[in-house]
Amino acid sequence: MRILMVSPYPPGRDGLAQYAVQEVKRLRAQGHDVEVLSPGPSAAHHHLDLVGVRGALALARRVGAYDRVIVQYHPTIFFGDRSTPAERTRVYAALAVAFRISGNVEMRIHEFPHAGAETRAESLAARQMWTAVDRITVHTPRERGEFTAAFGIGVDRVQIADHGEHFEKRTNLDRSAARERLGLPVDGFLFLSIGFLQPHKGFDRSVRAFAGLGDHGCRLEIVGSLRVEDAEYIAYVDELRAAVAATPGANLREQYVSDSEFDVWIVAADALVLPYRLIWSSGVCERAALYHRPVIASRVGGLADQVVGDALLVNDDRELAVAMRSVAGLASDVRISGNWPEGDRDAIMAEIRARAARRSTVGARVSVGSPRGSATRSAATAPLRRLRPLAMPESRSARPGASSMKRAIRRLTAWQIDPIIGQVNRLQQATMEAMSEPKAPGESGSAAPPR
Amino acid sequence: MERKGRLGFVPARYGEGVVGGAEAVLREMAHGLAQRGWEVDVLTTCARDHFTWANEFDPGVEEIADSVTLRRFPTVISTDRAERAAFNAAINAGSPLRMTEQERWMNDDLRLPELFHYLLDASDSYRALVFAPYLFWPAFACGQVAPDRTILMPCLHDEPEAHLDIFHPLFSGSRGLWFLSDPERDLAESIHPRLADFEVIGSGLDVPERYDPEGFRARHGIEGPFVMYAGRREGGKNWDGMLDAFARAVVNADLPLSMVTMGHGAVDAPPEIADRVIDLGYVSESERNDAYAAASAYIQPSAFESFSRTMMEAWLAGTLVIAAGTSAVNRWHAERSGAGLVYDDDDEFEECLRFVAEAPEAAAAIAAPGREYVLEHYTWPPVLDAVERTIDRWMPWS
Repeated sequence: MRILMVSPYPPGRDGLAQYAVQEVKRLRAQGHDVEVLSPGPSAAHHHLDLVGVRGALALARRVGAYDRVIVQYHPTIFFGDRSTPAERTRVYAALAVAFRISGNVEMRIHEFPHAGAETRAESLAARQMWTAVDRITVHTPRERGEFTAAFGIGVDRVQIADHGEHFEKRTNLDRSAARERLGLPVDGFLFLSIGFLQPHKGFDRSVRAFAGLGDHGCRLEIVGSLRVEDAEYIAYVDELRAAVAATPGANLREQYVSDSEFDVWIVAADALVLPYRLIWSSGVCERAALYHRPVIASRVGGLADQVVGDALLVNDDRELAVAMRSVAGLASDVRISGNWPEGDRDAIMAEIRARAARRSTVGARVSVGSPRGSATRSAATAPLRRLRPLAMPESRSARPGASSMKRAIRRLTAWQIDPIIGQVNRLQQATMEAMSEPKAPGESGSAAPPR
Repeated sequence: MERKGRLGFVPARYGEGVVGGAEAVLREMAHGLAQRGWEVDVLTTCARDHFTWANEFDPGVEEIADSVTLRRFPTVISTDRAERAAFNAAINAGSPLRMTEQERWMNDDLRLPELFHYLLDASDSYRALVFAPYLFWPAFACGQVAPDRTILMPCLHDEPEAHLDIFHPLFSGSRGLWFLSDPERDLAESIHPRLADFEVIGSGLDVPERYDPEGFRARHGIEGPFVMYAGRREGGKNWDGMLDAFARAVVNADLPLSMVTMGHGAVDAPPEIADRVIDLGYVSESERNDAYAAASAYIQPSAFESFSRTMMEAWLAGTLVIAAGTSAVNRWHAERSGAGLVYDDDDEFEECLRFVAEAPEAAAAIAAPGREYVLEHYTWPPVLDAVERTIDRWMPWS
């Protein structure tokens, strides 16, 4: 069968490209004649700017030459960054034409916010396009539910495909050899958070939850690189560096790792920590499963449906900390297990503050085993820590049309509101960090005097 | 050592008229291993020129000398490469590029989709895949298809592109790295935070059975002393800079030296020495070797060397080498062998030329240990032994 795969493609290193090339390899091994079309120059046989109506119509001119078309779908491939509902309506319509010409189109839906359509015309055009697609796959039931609800598509039209069905191992090393390759100590429990360094990956949460585990011989390795270099992401990495520097046993390796080295890291680890704030399905989870490495992940997006076997799902930072201790065999750790330390009131208060700190945004700065002064500083920041980070309210509503209206207002005002939210949260963080800084001897302040 | 399994060598270019050190090393290594009984494929482009990457050879499969299977794949250039030119300017100016920009820089050049997919389909049938040099798309993109079977021979120079983050996965994720010299290894360690397993294997040369310097002079009508340059005549090799410095030196010092050059690229000699620069274009290896033997000195002006085969070729012929000290590799060889002069500016270059012109016997005496240096370190048998040892260690036969 002559197949056209439409997708980002290596040597680009995004997840979609990696997913696509593994499926291409499998299809070619089955004897199919597979060609690849990517949005820009790559190892693909063809490349084409697919954005907008022109891109969709150019695609329409090509698809007729193939028996089957598989689209690794992400809206950024077809829509501009700031497309309007009217533009999207036209693109949906043009894509519907392209897919009808093909007559055999499969869409692999990868994570994206299933916002649905904003206008009735866009909604109709989108439904027209999805109707022209013969098979639609997502990776998790939750994605299917949200996707079908967003576009008014029957659930029975959307199949669930195992995210890792095309994945293959890229290393044959065992744990010891992997650690030796990476220059890591052979002994000691190793947690790993790996992937691009982005706020929604939540690796800062790994650091906070890890606080205190370094004293038990555990290590946390955070491995990844900054892919999107805008101010918010750069600031995030700066904060991550600071948190790691203040947390014994934690390391941040800002590395652009190869595919095989990515797997070597997984093999070297005893457990992966993936406290995503936002994700639909995770390729890292699948790769961890290939090597039977346990995963601790947050219960967001479709992860609850995706992770299998040795997976622990957590709802918040406290559960994350408990899970990490449990996986590391430290479940009886008195500071976590519910067994309170023996001692006077001060000891109990210190423990209370330490536990609270682990749940807070600056918990990493105040480790459980820190001197008493730290706990006192922790108390001083408590009112700030209890404030949840400022975020925009959900733009969802049960009232008909209200969700669309809210989303439209959100888009219109985001350029003014988002910087303010970011600044407020950074101020909160900075204030807490400043209050948590150790005082110099003799410096006046609220820190308790040394005993 | 079990010589089992197929080896794939992936130079960016291969064949008659291809000029380049990395390509020459891979070619001789591939054929040397084939002669030792290995099954060897050469997987390469249809290009001869590394600027145009035009498809000058036919694509397809053929069996060539030593039962080596040659598979050629067409290069694809589908853009005007304007974006790459703009990024090149930024790289050379030291401006940082984002990762996505580095990817666009890499992809806005020649590409080899058919080779990429051939390896996607068939990489499992190779015991090892050897890529060189690191800088071009074939090694960068195809070298990451089957990293556990990949050996990268980077041929790394201290050029601005070498410092791009985009290359980290290639240097850290390949199964192994072959370096040609200690300074190349040192450079790689200074750039990349963690290297894959590596070995300094050096490079081998075929030792000519005889030289015919007088025959060379007679065939080309060359009289009087001359210095020589062989290889790629381009900015990256500092050809133009050396030629300008040569012009100033021979005019200022009134030196009776000519320049004989062979290889690829425009010569563009300054007018005042145009009649002293003799361009022989592309010549056979034996003719080139005779030229080395006839020359008073060989000039190596490049700052971007990972090994410098031409220095070894000159020393084998008993000829003095005058090398730019901007390359750590040049300096390392010259100091280690004791058979080369190193210059760090135009004045020193002029003095080197003056020495050659005024004291040819002393120059020859300095050059004398060079041949033994090459024979001791850089002939093929010990290099191929090291190659086989590393293959056995990194990709044991099962």
